[in-house]
This record gives sequence, C-alpha cells and structure tokens, in this order.
Amino acid sequence: MTGEDSPRARGDEHGSAGGAGGTDGSVDRATVLDRVARVTDPELDRSIVELGYVTDVDVGVDGAAVRVEFRLPTAWCSPAFAWMMATDVRDEVRALGTVDAIEVVLTDHLFDTEITRGVNADRSFAAVFADASPDEDVDAVRETLANKARFSRQYLAVEALLDAGVRPRQVVELSPADLEPLGDDVAVSLEDGAVSVVVPADPLDRYLELARAHGLVTGPDDPLFVRPDGEAIAPDEFGHVHRRARLAHVNASGQASICEALQSARYDDGAAERSGDAGTVGPTSSQESF
Amino acid sequence: MYRHEGEDVFVIDSHVHLWDASTENITHEGGEQFIQCFYDYHTGFTPEERQWDMEEYRNYGAERMTRDLFANGAVDVGIFQPTYLTEFYAEGFNTIEQNAELAEEHPERFVLNGRFDPRDGDAGIRELERQKEEYDIQGVKLYTAEWRGDSKGWRLDSEESFRFLEKCAELGIENVHPHKGPTIRPLNRDAFDVADVDDAATSFPELNFVVEHVGLPRLDDFCWIAAQEPNVYGGLAVAAPMAQNRPRKFGEIMGELLYWLGEDKLLFGSDYALWNPDWLVETVMNAELTPEQRDEYGVEFDLETKRKVMGENAAELYDIDIEAKKRAFRSDEISEEFGLGEQYGADAAAD
Repeated sequence: MTGEDSPRARGDEHGSAGGAGGTDGSVDRATVLDRVARVTDPELDRSIVELGYVTDVDVGVDGAAVRVEFRLPTAWCSPAFAWMMATDVRDEVRALGTVDAIEVVLTDHLFDTEITRGVNADRSFAAVFADASPDEDVDAVRETLANKARFSRQYLAVEALLDAGVRPRQVVELSPADLEPLGDDVAVSLEDGAVSVVVPADPLDRYLELARAHGLVTGPDDPLFVRPDGEAIAPDEFGHVHRRARLAHVNASGQASICEALQSARYDDGAAERSGDAGTVGPTSSQESF
Repeated sequence: MYRHEGEDVFVIDSHVHLWDASTENITHEGGEQFIQCFYDYHTGFTPEERQWDMEEYRNYGAERMTRDLFANGAVDVGIFQPTYLTEFYAEGFNTIEQNAELAEEHPERFVLNGRFDPRDGDAGIRELERQKEEYDIQGVKLYTAEWRGDSKGWRLDSEESFRFLEKCAELGIENVHPHKGPTIRPLNRDAFDVADVDDAATSFPELNFVVEHVGLPRLDDFCWIAAQEPNVYGGLAVAAPMAQNRPRKFGEIMGELLYWLGEDKLLFGSDYALWNPDWLVETVMNAELTPEQRDEYGVEFDLETKRKVMGENAAELYDIDIEAKKRAFRSDEISEEFGLGEQYGADAAAD
C-alpha cells in the first residue's frame, strides 16, 4: 500500500513530490525528503518530517542509493508504530522508482536493531518479532489508527464549514459535487446551488484525501461526511457524530503534546550527551503555541 | 490542606508510588530504560526549577516522599498503586511490601492498594487473599500489558481475569485500577486498548474500574466506553501535569472528560514521583477552561468540580470520611511534624 492512494500519504505541502530531481531520472535529497514527508506518525496523523523524527537523509552521488535515519520521542514507542513508520519510509522512497538501494535506520529505540534489519531485508513484522501476537497483526492496528485519523480530519473539515456559516443540516447533505476549487479555497454550493460559501481548502482536502483512500467517498454524489461506521449521517445525529469526531481530534492532538514534551525532554538541552546525536532535518515543526 | 482562594480543598492523591530504581536493584536493561522513560515524562512536564536530578529520581525513599506529599499541605491522603516489574528489578520496582513500609507508618494518611496477575493462577488467588488479610486492601492496580514468559499480556475480560475479579468482589476489594497508558513491552498487540474494560465493568457492577491515565493515548475509546458504563472512572495521572505547560490541551482533555464522564467520575493523581504534588496540586487548582472551551463543552471546571476531582470522588470510592479525617489530622503525627494542625482547624493557641 504505497503511493498516491495510500491512507498515510500526505498532500504536497512540502513542495513537489514524486518527481525526479535530475534530468537523468535520478533523485536529489529534496525530492527524497518530500517523499518521506508523506509518512505520518500513525497515532498523531502528522508528518514524521514535520515532527522532527527524521535525523538524516543521505543520497548517494548518482542518486541510486538512499539512506534515511529517524528516531522517536521515546525508546518505548510502540514497536508496531515504529515498524509502520519504517516500512512506510522504505515504501515511499521505493515508489520514486529510481532508487536501487534503500536503507532505513531507526535509532534510540528498544528494538532499533530488529526493526532496522527487518525493514531493510523486506521481512514481515511477524517474522522479525517471533513473539508477536499472531491474532493481532500490524495491519489491523494500522487500519484502526487510519480510521481515527480520518475521523479527526472530518472534525476539522466540518468545523471549517460551520465557521463559514454552513448549517448542520446542510453539512450532512453535502457531496463532493458541491465543492469547487477556488485557489486556496473551496466554493461550497448549498441549497441546490442557490447559495455558495467559501471555505479554506486545506481541511477539506486533507479529509477527502483519507476518505477517498478508505473508499468511503467514491462518487461525486456520495455523502461527503459519514459516521464512524461509514454510514451517512442523519440530520438529528449530526451533533453526536461531530462531538465524537472532536474527541478523536482531541485525543490525537493531546497525545501529540505528550510526545512532543517527551521528545524535547529526551533530545533538547542535556539530551545530546544521552543520545550522542543532534539535530533533525526538514522544516521546523510548527507546534501549537500556548 | 490545600487552600484555594480562601477555601479549603481536601486532596486525595489517588496515584502515588514509593519506587526503587537504584542501579543495584536493576537486573535487566529494560529496568534502566523504564526509569529513563519515566524521567523524560518527569522533565517534559515539570517546571524547570522543580525538576529532580536522575540520582534522586531513582530512589527517593520514604522520608522524602512524606515531605513531598505533606510538608506544604498539598496532599491530605495518598493512595499507593503498586508496580511490580520483577523481571526488571531484583526486589521489584514498587511492590505492596515497599509501599507498606511507609503506609503502615502513617496508616491514617495512606490507602495501600494491592495487585493481581491472573496468570499466577491458584497461587495468585492465595496472594490476593494474603494482601487482603495482611493489609486490608480496598483496591488493586493492574497491568494488563505486562509480558511474562511467552505471554504478551492478558485481558481484563478473560475467563482467568474474571476469576480474580470474582475474588475481589467476594473479599470486598471494590476498586480496580487498570493501567492504560505506557506499557512494558507492546509489540503488534495494541496494549493501550481499553476495550477489555467494557465487558469487565458490565459483568461486575459491584466493582469500580478506575482507568489510569484516562486511556491516553486512547482517550476517544475510553470516553466512549466510560460514557456508557456507570462504574467506569478516569484517573488523571499523566493528564494532570499537562496543565503546567500545555494548558490549552489540558482544558480540551478536561472538557472531553467532563462532557462524556461527568464531574463525579474523575480522580486526581500525581503519579508521584513522576510528578510532585507539591507543585502539581496548585497547578491543577489554578487551571481554568477558556471561555471558548466552556462554551464548546458546556461544562465548568470550577471550585465545586475541582473539590470532587481532587478528593471527594476518591473519598466516595474508598469510604473516606473527609470531615472525620480533618478532625483526626488536627493532631496526627504528620500534622505535628510539619505544623499543619491549624489547616485542619486546631487551635493556634500553643505558640
């Protein structure tokens, strides 16, 4: 599951992605970084580059060999989550199509050696962790988290609509066909086209990206938003569904605050001496300010 | 006793430990990584001037713990929650015996909880009976994600677990505290999963289930379950210190908890020594929801709610008579030692 239709794939806010760097088809560092930026921490639904997890991206002279190094907020981060991120990095770089040798290195983790070796050897999670529970595979965890991410994004998309004055009754009636791109905004057609409001495109795009990847919104006339079980929202259910979506969002953003504090406790100030490491690559993370 | 804007607030810290992570006690590298991870939590959510150094954090001892909890009157009663981790620590990390050392010295100031692990079978049942007989425990702390041998943990809704929960009900051990947060060694299993609380809570309406760390990072699943189960509560350990450096997030999390669970179902806990109540109680007492949050959630985090969260709800679960405690604390050993008698209404005449 890689590439444009991946539930984890992000938009292109970090610049061009998927394209090659050189005229001969080889990649450069920026191209690799753009691609890696699509990988999210599955629990927080945010780019691992933005979160400052990626500590090194190294591209060989001919662009055929790529090495990506990353680390997590604690050595105790779920190995399953670490595994998802490591394999996603590998698969995203591989999807560029021009890289022959990809090495993904996880550092400072309880199972960094096991995960690094397993991912680079294309082994399965169950093969790497012989003691993993056979009844709960890593894909099931991934799917649970991806559904939560989509639901959390639904909250932000619906909030953007409500802020623009769209009524709950109108929100549940919306379909993709009612949306028309307008630069950085989207024109939303209401009441059979009698009224139109303009909302920022980003929250709607981010939501739709996952809703489409999950097969919940496929045709232009499908309901734009759904309940956690994928069914359409009845008008009198709107408040309840929206509050549950808010809860999913508060959970992810609350956990992001905890991870951010742990990461900073581990790697800022006195951290260099413990990790023997410094700095991350990519854009400075845009954390919520308080 | 804590004083907030001229009002007394009786504080029951529902989650405290007396641990030993000294290097001599560590027998497995996991023990070192575990305490390092705790220390990151500590420094990540403690004001810089109140942070401990690593050595004192490893093993602080009973005397320091007494001072930290009671000297400035932040805490009135503490509830010990044991954490065994005997595969990492020779004498265990924070066992009922280690906790009893202090709890038995000041029985009026501490509630001593026990623990069980259903994988211990008959021996575990006998151990639970011993804990009840020896310490009259009223609660247990449970680690469902703890690995042992080939086992990757256990579920609260399993047959083996139900046998122990039945024993709890029979012995009158009414308060069950499953730890749902950072785990010992999660692999592909989602060890934070709170789903097993649902069936256990339905099957044992006579028991109370206090989900520690409010299920973080599964707050959404936890709130959804707790909203439907009248005997499911939330322990605020880990969430509480967010009031210090993530006040807006703290407000949102409290807003969700108050909306879905209500003000009678939340228990303050410092998780001492992860965080020190000598500053944390004040931080939480001073925390406020923003007007937007009050409006969004339709709830208040006012003095009345805080009184419940900081003490009254735990008192209800543990049959603690707050007024009787206040009278007793006018002249108990702790109040004598730290000069707290007046806080509880003793005459100031003596000096």
